Amino acid sequence: MSTVNTAGGKARQDVMTFPNGLTLLVESMPGVRSAAMTLLTPMGAASDPANALGSANVLADWITRGAGERDNRALTDYLDSLGVQRSASAETVFMRFSASMLADKLPEVLPAYGDILLRPRLPESGFGPARDLAMQQLDAIEDEPSQKLNLLIKARHFAEPYGRPVVGKKEHLNALTPDALRKDFQSRSTARGSILAVAGAVEFAAVRDLVEQHFGVWQSQEPVQQPVHAAEGGVFHEQQASNQVQIGLAFDAVAEADPDSIVLQLAMNILSGGMGARLFSEIREKQGLCYAVSAGYMSLKHIGAVLGYAGTVPERAQKTLDSFLHELQRFSSGAQQDELDRAQVGMKARVIMNGESSAARAAAIAHDFYHYGRPRTLDELRARIESVDLKRLNAFLESHKIGKLTVVTIGPAPLAVPVDLIG
Amino acid sequence: MVTFKHTQLKNGMDIVAEINPEAQSVAIGFMVKTGARDESGEVNGVSHFLEHMMFKGTSHRSSADVNREFDAMGARNNAFTSNEVTCYWAHILPEFLPDALDLLADMMRPALRGEDFDMEKKVILEEIALYLDRPGHVLYEAVMEDHFRNHPLAHSVLGTKESITALTRDQMQTYFDARYGPGNMVLAVAGKLDFDELVRLSEQKCGHWKHLDVHRQYPAAEFRGGVRHITDPKLKRHYVAMICPGPSAQHDGRYAAQVLSDVIGDHDGSRLYWALVEPGLADEADFSFYPHDGMGSFFAYASCDPARSGQVAEILRGELKKICDNGLTDQEISRSKNKIATAAVLQGELPLGRMRNICSRWIYNQEYKTLEEDLQLLEGVDAAAIKKVIHEFPFSPLTTTTLGPAR
Repeated sequence: MSTVNTAGGKARQDVMTFPNGLTLLVESMPGVRSAAMTLLTPMGAASDPANALGSANVLADWITRGAGERDNRALTDYLDSLGVQRSASAETVFMRFSASMLADKLPEVLPAYGDILLRPRLPESGFGPARDLAMQQLDAIEDEPSQKLNLLIKARHFAEPYGRPVVGKKEHLNALTPDALRKDFQSRSTARGSILAVAGAVEFAAVRDLVEQHFGVWQSQEPVQQPVHAAEGGVFHEQQASNQVQIGLAFDAVAEADPDSIVLQLAMNILSGGMGARLFSEIREKQGLCYAVSAGYMSLKHIGAVLGYAGTVPERAQKTLDSFLHELQRFSSGAQQDELDRAQVGMKARVIMNGESSAARAAAIAHDFYHYGRPRTLDELRARIESVDLKRLNAFLESHKIGKLTVVTIGPAPLAVPVDLIG
Repeated sequence: MVTFKHTQLKNGMDIVAEINPEAQSVAIGFMVKTGARDESGEVNGVSHFLEHMMFKGTSHRSSADVNREFDAMGARNNAFTSNEVTCYWAHILPEFLPDALDLLADMMRPALRGEDFDMEKKVILEEIALYLDRPGHVLYEAVMEDHFRNHPLAHSVLGTKESITALTRDQMQTYFDARYGPGNMVLAVAGKLDFDELVRLSEQKCGHWKHLDVHRQYPAAEFRGGVRHITDPKLKRHYVAMICPGPSAQHDGRYAAQVLSDVIGDHDGSRLYWALVEPGLADEADFSFYPHDGMGSFFAYASCDPARSGQVAEILRGELKKICDNGLTDQEISRSKNKIATAAVLQGELPLGRMRNICSRWIYNQEYKTLEEDLQLLEGVDAAAIKKVIHEFPFSPLTTTTLGPAR
């Protein structure tokens, strides 16, 4: 099945789902010479076996160490000789493959990715190094408190398996074997639930034929789903003699597929969009409490959350947390029209600017398909931003007061968190 | 059709623009040829602190006004300071170009109010503390100091807790007055724009700035190489940095040096990747080319388990020696050129990427190259050109600085 619509301007979007369940999204963009690909396949950390956390992360490395006719070096040299800028990484739900190139290289690049996904060699010799690198990643996180905080806050706030650190656990990695990981790959590899998005100087029919040829025989099975357990939440402190105290907080929010998510996104822009936004202006500009302070929205299919971050020296940490919480609480009494105006202008500008980048568009339509079941056009994005007025925004803020906070700190001493805000 | 335009105001300020009528947006930036290398030791960190203060308002704008106005344009905007330049930029929709120019130009004549200075000093000290928790950054500053020694490129961009604490508003004013002359800056714009209108507005906003004679010092550097280890018992990983002389931003060999450094140390498919990352000996191993003003550096960086520190350093040195002895293969050169060319085309599709490119090109070399001309120069790099660079810059003297838990 193929549906066609216009993406605004001269761009054009096509969607098609192959019989094996793989969805192809193509956005043909005028005025660019590049093409970019985003491939999401439901083989992320959330589907790691409970006794083998970190498997997807090791696989994301191992899988690119030779595929089809090419061994590790031949595959790397092949993609390099085509000038492909690329990455492969495990995320919570998906394993993500990104590649940007000159558009005329796409017919040579897509088949190589077909090999990687459908015919990876998963060589014995590559397993040890891939696992070793994953272990080293765990140590490297220990050396950077801000990265560690990011993992801890998600692990405490999100329900298992969605809060799992992608990097996994050392003891699980130690127990991994090449055979077990190969079996795991076979049981999780599936076209169903996978999304392949291509954007840039490309034509739908040509891309469709390529994808059919190279991904058409990809096996199809139900994506693996691990049981869900409630989040721990609460307040957690990790003692560390760092120069700065790392402060992370999180609370639940609507998921992106919810019609109100656009209101939340505008609210987040008012709170933490540009340099004039509330957190930056009240905590950094007016009080000089920290260098970095921000809040962001993240969402999986059915759950969403607001994550807040600040880093500051120990003497100012309590005041920083108090000010942060004050701004969050004050927000429920509403925003001003000029704040909404700036948030809308900013978000609309971002839509247009991202529209110039094939890599940004490929990532965006893949994201759209996961959350909304279809790619969205630039015109639609603009209209959705414009549809929110101050009345709707303030009604939303009033009915979505913060509550049940998860707070994580890393530093020399714990901070005081008001009991009534803790989940 | 992309066109390039240049003009100079009477006070010496250069305006460069790459006009692309097809673009949906436009990027604008003021780049000032000043940075940590232009500071005297006692005001170390003033360039970067000043960059923050430039957002704190002017005689008729408050700090909040500056931030709010950028937001009202929906701008993506920021600033950065390096050892050699300070740049203030905004990426906007074309209809906001006059407003963005008005705001950025006004910012270039800041109020530098005492109370703002005191408040922002706290933020700078926070930024210093933030980077002290990042081993890669701590090591970078240490190796630059070990390598450049008395040369001003050794200066830390952020400064230290001590130098920032001691810095006064008047010292900053003196630095500003000496460095921010119109002849020492470039206004660069790339994307969809009307050049005549840009020049007319720039004349109006910047034409009255008084010309200043600004000079940069180019002292000779005395490189001695050497090895130093810094112990930090709380670290889990060992970090190694090596630095040695390379071609400058003005050197003919800079395209060859770019290809050379890509073959040695790009994050995928490079010599160091195969020697260190692929076998799992180091989780990171990079080799980069830093063309500075008047001189240059090659820079290697790796992180590994402390137990492997000796092995990793030995492999790093061994790979450099192999290249000195045998050069690169034609296949390696050709692959790297394709990678670099693709990256340049991708960056060239975005106004912000082109603005930064034409801006620094003008600051360093007073020249403009179209993307196609750049790609041709890159295409011209062959084994002989690489060999010439290696001959002139044989990765020596090599300064090695390491950081980790070992004593």
